[in-house]
Formats: sequence, C-alpha cells, structure tokens
Amino acid sequence: MSAQTATDFLDASIRSATPLLLAALGETVAERSGVINVGLEGAIIAGCLAGLVGAAEFGPMAGLAIAGAAGLGIAIIFAVVAIALAADQIITGTAITMLGLGLTSTLYRVLYGDGGAALQTPTLSPIGIPLLRDIPLIGSALFDQPVPTYLAALLVPAVWWGMYRTQFGLALRATGENPAAARASGISPKNMQSFGILFGGLCGGLAGGTLVLAQVGTFAEGMSAGRGFVAIAIVALGRWHPVGAALAALIFGMASALQFLFQALDLKLPYQLFLALPYALTLAALALASGRYRAPKSLGVRLNVAD
Amino acid sequence: MERAVVVSSGTDRPVTAAAPRLALGSIRRSYGSVLALDDASLSVAAGEVHALLGENGAGKSTMMKIAFGLDRADVGTIHIDGRPTTMRSPRDAMAHGIGMVQQHFALVDAMTVAENVALGGIGAFSLEATAATIRRIGVESGLDLDPGAIVRDLPIGAQQRLEIVKALARRTTTLILDEPTAVLSPTESTELLEWIRRFADSGGTVILIAHKLREVLSVADRVTVLRRGRTVLSALASDVTEDSLAGAMLGDSAARAKVSAPAPAAASNGPVVLSVTGVSVADATGIERLRDATLEVRAGEIVGVAAIEGAGQRELLRVLAGRMAPTRGTVHLPASIGFAPEDRHRDAVVLDATLTENVALRGAGQRRGIIGWDALRSTTTAMMKARDVRADSEAVTIRTLSGGNQQKLVLGRELADAPPALVVENPTRGLDIRATADVQAALRAARDAGMAVVVYSSDLDEVLSLADRVVVVAAGRIRDVPSDRESVGRAMLSGVS
Repeated sequence: MSAQTATDFLDASIRSATPLLLAALGETVAERSGVINVGLEGAIIAGCLAGLVGAAEFGPMAGLAIAGAAGLGIAIIFAVVAIALAADQIITGTAITMLGLGLTSTLYRVLYGDGGAALQTPTLSPIGIPLLRDIPLIGSALFDQPVPTYLAALLVPAVWWGMYRTQFGLALRATGENPAAARASGISPKNMQSFGILFGGLCGGLAGGTLVLAQVGTFAEGMSAGRGFVAIAIVALGRWHPVGAALAALIFGMASALQFLFQALDLKLPYQLFLALPYALTLAALALASGRYRAPKSLGVRLNVAD
Repeated sequence: MERAVVVSSGTDRPVTAAAPRLALGSIRRSYGSVLALDDASLSVAAGEVHALLGENGAGKSTMMKIAFGLDRADVGTIHIDGRPTTMRSPRDAMAHGIGMVQQHFALVDAMTVAENVALGGIGAFSLEATAATIRRIGVESGLDLDPGAIVRDLPIGAQQRLEIVKALARRTTTLILDEPTAVLSPTESTELLEWIRRFADSGGTVILIAHKLREVLSVADRVTVLRRGRTVLSALASDVTEDSLAGAMLGDSAARAKVSAPAPAAASNGPVVLSVTGVSVADATGIERLRDATLEVRAGEIVGVAAIEGAGQRELLRVLAGRMAPTRGTVHLPASIGFAPEDRHRDAVVLDATLTENVALRGAGQRRGIIGWDALRSTTTAMMKARDVRADSEAVTIRTLSGGNQQKLVLGRELADAPPALVVENPTRGLDIRATADVQAALRAARDAGMAVVVYSSDLDEVLSLADRVVVVAAGRIRDVPSDRESVGRAMLSGVS
C-alpha cells in the first residue's frame, strides 16, 4: 500500500466518521439522561434535506446551521411526545424516524419535482490548518477537512467537560441512572431529559447537514441509510462516554472507508460486501457491548408523572 | 393538645417554641378515590426530635413527602418558622433547610459517594472540593464515608449515612427520616439513634418516622400519631407509654391483643427436613461469603437466624431454600420449599401482574401446557380469604396492595402446596404492627403444622420472639448459641473487626 493510499484511506475514514461522531455525541448525551432516541435517524434525514435547501438559498455554512435547526425541530416533537406526554420512547422514536423519512421524501418531491432532480449544492470546502496539514501521511487527512470535522473533534472534549466537570452534567447523568434520586436532590428530570433530546436532535441535524454539504453534495431519499441506528450502536460500543464514542465512530468510519481502499488496491471482491460491513459491525458491536458494560440504569424508562 | 413549651427528654435543656420550625396544618391529600390524608396536622419545634407514628397507610410518608415538596397537598397549610410557605419541589424545601432521607434511598448507585453528595448543585463540579466537604462532615458528625466509593458497593448502613451526609452537606437544619432503622442491624440502629440525639442537642430538628415504639420513646422529645390520615395524638414523649401509643395507632383494643406474642414451643424432636453439611458459597469474585456451614432443621421447629448485614446469612438462607447451589458441601433438601425473600418487590412478586398471576408464578417452571386460570383464580380467592389479604379482587395488580397484604399473599402462595419447609428473610420488614402480627402468627402456624421453618430477621427482637432455637451467622460461619439476647448479640459481633 502506497503512502498516498494510506492517506486516502485515513481521509475517507475521517470523512465517514464525522457525521457518525456528531450523531453519536448527541445520542450519548441523550442516553446519559435516560432517553434512547430511536428518532435520531429522523433528525439526520431532516438535517440532510434542510442542509440542501438552506445551502442552495444561503450558502453552505448557513445550510449547516439550518440542518442543525431541522434536527432540533424534529427533536422538539420527540420531546413533547416522549417527555411532556410521557409516551414510550421506542415507539415514539420509531414514529419520528418514519416521519422524518416520509416527510423529507415528500418535501423533496414537492420542492424539486417528481423525478427529484439530482440537485447539486455548494459544498463546504476543506480548510487546511497551516503547517499541521503538511505532516506526512496523516496531515492532509486530519488537518485539511471541512468545518464539521473540526466541530465534531472539538465537541468531544466539550461534551466530556460538560458531562463530568459541571453540576449540570452530574445532574444529567444522575437522571439517567435514577430520576427519583435526581428529583429528591432538587433536579427536574424532565428538564434534563428534554435537554438531552434537544441536544441529540441538534447534533443529528448537523450530522445530516454534514452528509449533504461535506460528503455527497446532493440529496437522495433515505440517504441517511441507517446512520442514526449505527450512531446508537456507536454509543453503546463507546460505553456511553464521549471519548469512547469518538474511538467507536472512527472504527465505523474505517469500516466504511474499506470499500475505497479495496477499490484502490484493485481487489476483486464484490463492493456490496464492503457496503454491508458497517452494518455487520453494528450487530457485532451491540453483541459485544451488551452485558459487558452497563447502560444508564434508567435508559428508556418512562418518567413517573411526579418526576 | 398543642403545647407552647417543649422540654427535651434527652437533656434538661428547655426549648422555647415561639414559632414552630415546621408546621403542617389541616393537610388533606387524596389519590383518586383514596383519601390518604384528611385533616392531618403536625407541629415541630426547633431543636426537638419529633416522632411521627402510625400504622402503614396512616399517611406518615405522604405527609412528609408534602413537607419535602415531593408531593402536594390538596388542602392545607405549611408554615416554616411561622411564615406560610408553598413547597413546589424538593428544591424549595432544601432552600428552607429541610432535608429528607426516604425509606427507599434516593441514591444513584452507579455513582460515587462524592457525586451523590454534589448532586443538585450548580456551576462547576469539583470532585476534590466535594470530597473535602464529606471528610469535614465526617469529622464533625462522626458519619464516616469514603468519598470515592461506589454507592452500589456500600452496605446498607453506609448508604444511609450517605443520605444523611448528603442532607448535612446542603446545610440541612431540619431532617426528616422515614423509617431509618428498618434496614439497619441493632448495633447500627443504636448508633443512628445516638446520632439523632446529638444532632438535635446541637440545635438540629429531626422528624422521625418509625414503627418500633421502644426505639421511638428512647429518642423522641415529642410524638404525633396519625390514624387513617388524621392526627389523633400529639404529646410529649414523657407523657406516653408504648401501650398508649399502640392504642392510639390501632384505635381498637382487639387489634392490640393480637400484637402480644405467645411463648415459643418446646424443642422439636421431629425428623430432620433441611440438612446442609460443610457448605461454602463463593461470590462472583471468589470471596467465600459462607464457610463450612452445617445446619439441620427439624420438622415442627422455627430456627431463627441472627446476623449483621452481609455476614453470610443471605447465602445460607438461599442454600437452605434450594435457591442457590453451594460451591462446596452437601445438601439434603425436600423437593418443595417455600421461600419469602426480603426484597419483596424485586424477588418475590411481579408488581404489575395480578394477584392470580403472582400466585401462578410458584412452580411455573415445572408446569407444561395450557394454564388453568379458572382454578388458579379460585385458589387465589380462597387464599385471600384464608390469609386475610385485603384487596378488591384477585384481578387487581399486586402493586395496589399494601406491603402487609403483599407479604401475606406471598406467604400464602409459598405455603399453598404445604411444603415440608419454609424459609423467610426479614418477613415483616416495612410492615405495620397489625400485618407484622399476622405474618408472625402465620409462621408459628406453619411450625405447629409440622413444617421446618427458618427465619432471618435483622430485628433481633423478632428473631428471639419467633425462634425455638437460634443460630448466629458471623463472618460467614455458623454458631449455635443460647437464645438469650446477650449471647446472641455478642456472637453476632464476633469475627467483626
């Protein structure tokens, strides 16, 4: 393998990992507050379409922000139904994902016609960090990336700091373990979980925006392609910790990048095999992670009315 | 019944109560059609230990949850230091210096002691600063804790200390304790009661919910008794006796007669039913919780097991009940053994299943094919009648029943096929006087019917009053001892550093 191939592989890994990491960081925060957001896929696909439309109107950076806002909007629906109305999280989340996938397809056809004309959008160009990008082998892969990659990388320590060094983070984690104990300490579990959901939605929307604006450059129906569920697996594999999520996202990014690598190496294997790899890895990750590491104790449990 | 001046019983220090520290007036609270509190009042002076008594379901916990902002009254007033106050959440209560240790601890058991103490604050979270606070409180109050310990690894007594330290760290001056001694060993209980006295003597105020009247009278300055949601008595502790309190709580003399315990029967010569020889049990980490235990239990006797928490009695009981395989040693057990574990909600019942479904759980692993629900329903109904389980029907979920009625149904279920042996663990924990008497009577009846009965209770008095013979488990080993309080108490502590 030549040095250029290695660099390309690393670059592709980072690119594939970025939206997964953004979504997984948001989901980590949501799950630590006790909410499993199966609606994450819905937030990502909403972010995809909103990013496309926003970028076409106002440019790619605004498109990214609008993508985040779209994810937030989807999350508000989830929060109202799952927290304020105390509905089952899994059922609500599934409905939100269906809603996201259906609504984006419909809106896309309404906006761009029945054929869904493959609209090209201005994308976020890589921003090179002087000096660092010139490091051999890893320089261009790590330090010549579009904005969302830097954002995701900075978000890892930020989420860690928020979760482990602030009273707010302590209260959020306590809510995910034992909402009654949190309440007895003067914390509002509803507020904590609502925050977790909204942050998760925002990150999901940004992940969708990243997908369109930093990778594909266009929208296709169902283009989120299960990344929301992959992100949920990443959270478990990362042991509900932001740094763990970063490592797990990188592993998944590499799995996705393998297809490019094998093409470059000109191996005669059907490419569908590599397309399936991240999903097979998801199953393996969940099987490995479950049991060995403990999820937040109250994860997925509905709050009592009093909480 | 209100008195303007309160004299502390523990010291001769008079306490003037210009305005009560905490006063709840004419509280009314209903849940659906159930009236939990109806014109209940409570007035607690600063610096006193105030005992709040009543049977289960009398409304004590509800009243204290209202005082702590965990629940809200439909009607009624709350005054703090004479000023009318509304409690919307525990945050409001804490702002007024009120703390509460609930019967079921409100701890995050995956977190450290320090994280639990810091919970509820604002701003940055510093582990070091919190640990320093915990050590300072430990020095000041004698409530020692390791700030870095994970709560789930702490014994129950330490978890309770943590709840109190949590309250003290928030500068709590008025502490509500909901049945704090129910989960403690006798030694731990004594230590806690001594701490309560010291806290009050140094100016703190304590509201103590408790069942054991002797305990209450040993520490309280004043008592308030609730019966069916109403305040029926409020008096100085020095003006009441165990008997007059029981009368106020129960309200009728017939119920009181049931409470006094009959004398234990003579030693049994029946055949050996349960037999374990040289049995050891190691936990997941390889530590031997029970070592080389040998015990025989005969038909027609109650063997009482006395132990402090974590001494190995938990493993012994489960081996005897056939619920745990020993790592070493031989066991001879009958095919069917009744078992009532101490954590009823977790280990004995499915809370959201109906009474019939819960009864059907026994032996469910052995049965095959289609379930005969009609037969099970009539069995359950008959069981409810025989065991005095009070519920609207067999079709209600067991969650809706009081602890006493749940336990009576569990015992009924475990005894339904008349097994030759019965093993029970803390059978009356959390039950009120009446249900306690019923459960104890059921255990004696099982003995009299020729069963081999094993009873463990963390309440030593209960072990002594029920048992025909007492064995002590200390540091994983079994000791046979004379059944007097002194010998048993000493043996329980032997082997403890």
